[in-house]
Parts: sequence; C-alpha cells; structure tokens
Amino acid sequence: MDSQRLRLQIKRLIVQELNLRGRDPETIEDDAPLFGAGLGLDSLDALQLAMSIEEKIGVSIPEGEQAREIFRSVRAIAEHVAKVRGA
Amino acid sequence: MTGLGLVTPLGADVEATWAGLVRGERAIAPVTLFDVAGQRAGVAAQVANVTLPDGPPEVIASWSRTAAMARIAAKEAMLSARLDAREARVGLVVGGTTAGMFETEKLLARLHAEPASRDKRALGSAGGAFVAMLSHPLTATGDRLEEQLGPFSRVRVLSSACSSGANAVVVGAIWLLSGEIDAVVVGGSDGLCRLTLSGFNALGALDPEPCRPFDRRRRGASLGEGAGFLVIESAERALARGSQPVAELAGWAMGSEAHHITNPAPDGSMVAALIERAIARAGLSAADIDYVNAHGTATPLNDPMEAAALAQALGDEIRRVPVSSSKGQIGHTLGAAGAIEAAITALVVARRTLVPTAGLDEPDPSLGLVHIPHVGHKTSRVRAAVSNAFGFGGMDTVLVFSEPEFVPKANGPMLPRAGYASSSIAITGVGVLGPCGLLGVEDCAGLLQRSTPVDAAVDPDAYLDLERARRLDRTARLAAVAVERAAGESDTGTEATGVILGSAFGNVDSSAAFLHRTFLKGPRSASPADFPNLVPSSPVGHVSIYARYRGPSFATADFAASGESAIVQAYQLVASGESQRIVAGAAETRSEIVDRVLGVLFEYTASQTAAPRVDLAAAVVVEALSEARRRGARVLAHITQVLEWRGDGRVAIEALRSPRGERAEVLLARADGGADELIDRTGWRFHPRLVCAPALGESDALGAAAVAVAAARIGTARAAEALVLGLARARGYAIVLALP
Repeated sequence: MDSQRLRLQIKRLIVQELNLRGRDPETIEDDAPLFGAGLGLDSLDALQLAMSIEEKIGVSIPEGEQAREIFRSVRAIAEHVAKVRGA
Repeated sequence: MTGLGLVTPLGADVEATWAGLVRGERAIAPVTLFDVAGQRAGVAAQVANVTLPDGPPEVIASWSRTAAMARIAAKEAMLSARLDAREARVGLVVGGTTAGMFETEKLLARLHAEPASRDKRALGSAGGAFVAMLSHPLTATGDRLEEQLGPFSRVRVLSSACSSGANAVVVGAIWLLSGEIDAVVVGGSDGLCRLTLSGFNALGALDPEPCRPFDRRRRGASLGEGAGFLVIESAERALARGSQPVAELAGWAMGSEAHHITNPAPDGSMVAALIERAIARAGLSAADIDYVNAHGTATPLNDPMEAAALAQALGDEIRRVPVSSSKGQIGHTLGAAGAIEAAITALVVARRTLVPTAGLDEPDPSLGLVHIPHVGHKTSRVRAAVSNAFGFGGMDTVLVFSEPEFVPKANGPMLPRAGYASSSIAITGVGVLGPCGLLGVEDCAGLLQRSTPVDAAVDPDAYLDLERARRLDRTARLAAVAVERAAGESDTGTEATGVILGSAFGNVDSSAAFLHRTFLKGPRSASPADFPNLVPSSPVGHVSIYARYRGPSFATADFAASGESAIVQAYQLVASGESQRIVAGAAETRSEIVDRVLGVLFEYTASQTAAPRVDLAAAVVVEALSEARRRGARVLAHITQVLEWRGDGRVAIEALRSPRGERAEVLLARADGGADELIDRTGWRFHPRLVCAPALGESDALGAAAVAVAAARIGTARAAEALVLGLARARGYAIVLALP
C-alpha cells in the first residue's frame, strides 16, 4: 500500500472511530497536530485510536512516551505503521 | 451515625475489615472469580466466600454477589444500630454501578450474538435467563434488601459511578433533614465483573501490580469489590432511644466538574470548592480537620488533582493533616467505594486511629501530602475528617464526619425540621423527545389532543452541536436534547444546575455488545471509548458535560418508574436547599434484549392497548420558586405534594390530599388497572384521567413525560391541578402539581 493511501486510511479511521461526524477525512492535513490544539483530540481518543489501529491495520502502538511521538500527526502514525510492516 | 456494616476484601464484617486496615494488609491478588487471560492488569481485591441467603433455587438465582454483599453489610449496620425497619419510618438508599453484571455477562454476550428466533433454546424452558436478568439492574440490589430487611418507608437506588456510595449517604441525610424519615440505611455495593476489569484495562487505568496510591511509581488503580452501609439518624432520636452515636455526619457537598467523561479536571478546583463547602456546611474550618480519607485511586491523573484540591481547600493545614487512601488495601470498589470509605472515615474518628496507605513506599514529593504509610496507628484525637469520592463524568461528593457533639448544635446541619426548608418548588420548563418530535411547553400541553404516529424515527442529532456531542451515545443524546429543551434557550446561570435522570436497566444492549466482543476477541479489543457509556450514570455525566451543569448529578433506577424517582429526588434536593435547580427526568433507548428477556414482566405487555416500545427522553426543570423569580423564569406549575412507596400503595395513598377545585386531572403514563384502583381511593376519583402512552409510545421514560405534560397543561391554563401517578412492580410515586 502506498503511503498516501495508508494516510487516507488512517484519516478515515480517525473520523469513524472518534465520531468526528461532519468532518471530511480528506481535509485532515498530514502534518496537523492531532491532539490539543489541532483536531482537539485527547487521551481517551488516543486509547481508542490505538485499539482500532491495532484491530483494523494490524499494527500495535506502544504505550507511553513512544505513543505520544507516533500520535503527533497522521504522517507520524503512517510512518510507524510502515516501519513495523517493513521490519 | 449509629451503626455500620462492611463487607470488604479484608473481611466480611466491620471488625475484620478494621483489623486488616490498621495492620496495613493488602487484599489485592490475582483474580480467581473469572478468567483474566489477556487482561493488562489481572489483579484485584476480591471478597472471598460471598454467602447468599437461604432459599429455594429459583429465588437464589435472582441474587447477585452485589446484592448478597449488600445484604450482609446492611444487616450488620442495622443490627449494630439496633434498628428495626418496622419500628420507625426507615429509608433505604443504595448506590452502585455493576449490580448483577457478573451473573449476567455470559448471558448478555450470548443474547447479543444469537438471533431472537433461537431464544427458546438460548433462554431455556425454565426461564433461567429471565430470572438471571432480574438480578441485573441496579434496582435489584434495593429490592433484595427490601425483601430481606424491610419494609422500608422509602427506597432509592442511585448511581453516579464511583461516587454512588457517597451520594447515597447525602440523599439519606436529606431525607432525615426533611423530618419525613426517622432513620436511614445508606450505602453502596458493587461486585467485581469482567466488564469493569476489561473496561478499566482498556482505559489504561489499572496497575498490573497491586496499586500504589500517592507513590512516585504509581501506574494506576486496582479494582476491588465490597459493600458498605451506615445507619444515620438524628442525634436527638439516637439519644432518646439510648443508642450511642459512632460519629456524626457533619457536612457534605456534591457537584459536577462538567469537564470530561473519564478524566478529572486537572486543577481540582471543583473538588476543592466541594471540600470547602462540606467543611463549611459542618460549621467547621480547615483547622478542625484531623484526617482525610482520599479518593486516592493511584492513577497518574487522580492523585495530583486530589492533592491540588486538598491544598487549595485546606490551605496551610495541608502540612498538618494526614491523608491516606484505603484503595491500596481493598482496591477501588467503584459504586461501593464512597460508602465503604465513609464508614472507614467514621471509624477513624470514633476509634482515634489513623488507617494507612498500603503500597506507598516512595511518596511522590510533588503531591506535598502528609502520609500514613504501611500501617495505621493510634492518635490523640480525630475531631473531624473528610472523605472524598469522585466518579466518571466528574460527579464528585465530599463527606465530613466528626466526633459526636464536636460540632456546636447551632452550627450543625443535622437538625430535623418539621418539613423541607422550602415548600415553594416550581417546574419552570419541560422537554420531551421521541417519535412525537421535540416538544416544549405548548406541544406537551396539546399532545394528548392529537394523534401522532409512534413509529417515526427519533433523531437527536438534528438538535445537537455534533462536535460537542461526539462522545455521547444515543441515550445520552436523547437526554441532552430533552434537557436543553426543558432548560430553555434563555436559561442563564446554569453553573449551579444539577441533573438527575432515571434509567430502568442501564445500557444493556451496548454492554452486551462490549462483552461479546471482548469474549470473542480478547480483553485487548475492549473499546476505551465505549466503556464509560456502559455505567448507568453515563447519560447524566454526558449531559452535565454537554450543558456545563455543575450541580449535583446522578442517575436513579426504579424500573418503569425511574423517571418519577428522578423527579421526586430532584424535588427533595431542591426543597432541602441542597440545590437551586435540577433538570430531572429520564432517557431510554429501546433495549432489544430487555424486551426479549423481560418483556413478559411488564404491565404494558398485558394491556390490550399496549403501545409499541419507542426511544424517549423527557425532562422537567425543578427549581426553587425564589430562584425562578430571581431570574424571571416562567413558572409552569408548583409541586405541591410528593409521595412515594413500596408495595401496593394502598396505605401510602391515604396521605394524598384531594384537589382544591374542579379543574383537576390525573395523568398516567399508561393505562393501568392498579392505578385506577388507587385513584378510586382518593379525592381525585371523579376527575378526568389522561393517558400518555397512545400519543408518545411505550417507554420506561414515560412517567417523566407524564410529569412534563402535566406541568405544561397547568402552565397553559388547560388545568389547574394535576396528579401524576407512576407505578411499576410493587412501587409507586404520586406527584401533585398546581397553578402557581
């Protein structure tokens, strides 16, 4: 799967799993911060997102400080997924 | 407080628990009650050998571990107070969250997975599922205690997640203050189950090792189970019957953070305000407090928030007052925690002995608290002590206990009155959402004249700010819309508003889906976002966050009269001065599983004119008349009398006052022969009877809608007085409304 398609898949997952109704996944920017100021997500969303990425994409998100880095943006999540799959 | 009873992982009575607490014993160990394979944290504090009462198997099958623990603790409390429910007007208030969840988890998962057509086999010919489901709802705990230890004059079952037990104490105290009740048995009980362990694990809220409150290495809570009950009565009554008070319930405060469904507001400002209010209510100051029993869950978020709140509320005294959390020993007992820890706090006062925080080896220096690590010890005196309880959705309650006679009589709150502080209580708004659409005052008033299709789709999203509402499940959405409609667009000063909503069975279908998924795919597939929506108080928490209400908030449960119980509870809180304004009612999403398994139970299925089951939410604003006038609100009706009972109601209904004039009417949720029989015993017998079900559809929230319709009809001069009679299995409520 090319990286752009993976990022779109992640965006769709974010909108669906976090119930961001009315939000078009394509309008989420690759590098926009997901938490706090950006999409306004919080720690509960991070947990839900981690669970659904593991279930739907088959890649687990480590806990703690590493998760914070991975959840920085859609691009960072996609890079983590690609790295795990490539390994 | 003249009696108490405890069932905890440390022991099955007060003395065994107390001895374990002081010695610093930790009861947190690998769970053996059920399979914990795949759970991130597999340790919890279990109660060994929960004994059920004697009886035939079909009766015992309706007992959950939760109810069984409640029975043991409530019985111990009543025995130690030498209280007999038959000898006085005794009230029972029970808090909880899980009730019979443990006993019904496998059944629910199966019902979720199997189509209804296979029910004959799945449910078994002996009605095993039927009996098991009777143990499931919160109300069951209250019902079992009523059967075993009653009859009680009043029974209330409530939930505010992890502050349920503490809120039960407050509701009982308010009943005493009204002078309508002589003594109350109050407490909480919650059994461990797969759903809570999987859910809290999904939230990453549990430590894989036994928890370490206030420790720098703390990584989360440990779950526990148990029951705690207290007998409270006025000091005068206790002395008159030669009963020795253990300690005095001197003050309390409850409120909502309106912040987040799972996380506490980090600055602790709401909690600090409640601690200050509870101490002030006791007529005391921070200098009088000698001990704090903290909520102390050992999660990374709770402990710093609570430490900040204590520092803010106690000021410099924080450097003197020892603080401990019992959760390092008995775990977090959820709906029972507030009551168990209230009992522990009272014992600390009575026995002048501080109990420790077990598991605390390296205190987190950033918290700045005075600890009691490892083991407890005697102290010279504990004049007064604080007990904190915080729940999901930010529903917080603070209790203050003191030595008997320590609080000067003139300052203390425990002076029973001849009645409530305020007799002028108004309904200032109504809102109903269902297949009928969204109804305000005018629509509600005219509702029964028109015929509406009850099979229309109900779409709460059309009325909500979807971004703000994204975490709300369907029931919470229905509730939020009805509540906002009732509160009205012009409503200002919502800060102190509370919200109380009835829930007959909780979120059964979503719990079943959650359980099915975790059984099938393992605990790690448990959804952290779905879990907070499974506690019966979830819609209340969501509404308080959505509408930014910071007053007292909790759910009540009383089968098909849950809405009536919520409105009556709101009346009691406002009339006692505990709150200025509460939006109360019920929101129910039709449960396919409840209909399948318990459908035959309900009154309406026997009725020839039964309406179809619908999704329905209804709310009314219950407000002190003085407050309504101050803000210039439209007063629709006064609440002039409220009655509630267990049993057939024939004795209780005798207290119902007759209507004052001709333009009076009776509002009923559904056509009901039992209601007709009761009305015929009253001065309301010759007045018209209006029935809501044909226009609104059938729902456990229908009683709340009947109150809304009654208030709207008076507010629009269609009637001058109305009696709303709400009945469910062996329980009932009468709410009388009249022209301002």
